[in-house]
Amino acid sequence: MEMLLMGACLSVFGLAVCCLAFGAATRDSGNTTAAAPAVEKETIKAAVSPARFFVDPPVLPMAARTRVPIEALLLQIENHVRLEHAAAECFLESPNASLLHSRTISTLVN
Amino acid sequence: MVDIDLLKGLAPEDAERVLALGKRVMLTTGAELFHLGDAADSIYLVARGRLRLTLPMQVRSHEEDILVEERSSGQTVGWSALIPPYRFTLTASAPLETEVIALSREALTSYFAEHPDTAYTLSFNLSCVIGHRLQLFQAMWLREIQRMVELRCA
Repeated sequence: MEMLLMGACLSVFGLAVCCLAFGAATRDSGNTTAAAPAVEKETIKAAVSPARFFVDPPVLPMAARTRVPIEALLLQIENHVRLEHAAAECFLESPNASLLHSRTISTLVN
Repeated sequence: MVDIDLLKGLAPEDAERVLALGKRVMLTTGAELFHLGDAADSIYLVARGRLRLTLPMQVRSHEEDILVEERSSGQTVGWSALIPPYRFTLTASAPLETEVIALSREALTSYFAEHPDTAYTLSFNLSCVIGHRLQLFQAMWLREIQRMVELRCA
């Protein structure tokens, strides 16, 4: 009789643990769905996130880390300097605050 | 003769005399006129073509020469030759075949001692060239600071 009761208690305890685990798993997936817009930002950070449980962070190839080729980046910088130079020349032609802080179309900063 | 910013206000014969002090230098495409840190003994007037003025910058762990300014015909380059400590603070190279007139500091100062009126005009023109560069880069620097502030406050 005692053995039977002990077995029943253990079964109930096991069932309770299973229910709690299931509840926690279900709640997590619900939160993920709710925070869907934030996922985009998280994926960018994933490459530099710390190692988790014996899993090494993925080693990305150099090309993936530096998406813009260096030649293109140098052209962007040069274009930016030319645009800033032109903007500064405009300011010197007619010095005022709005010309000093006029917006740039430079792809380096936009 | 090209309209040269350093010789503005001089009588044509005076301008010719100053130019006669110089030496014409031909630069092939890609040739370097002077390098950052070199001793600056001559100031240059661009007679034809174009010069790129660059400064080194670290881009992805590589040192790259980044364009700071471009000078074309009629403009003056290398005024470090007349300003202590007489060292170039930029690198100048020719992106295309370019001709410059090199005026040595020694020749200019000797000439100035004998022709103070020309010295005054050239000094005034040189101060305009330097002043323009200062104002231009002051504005560019402030625009960059503004962007940094906007990024920080975003």
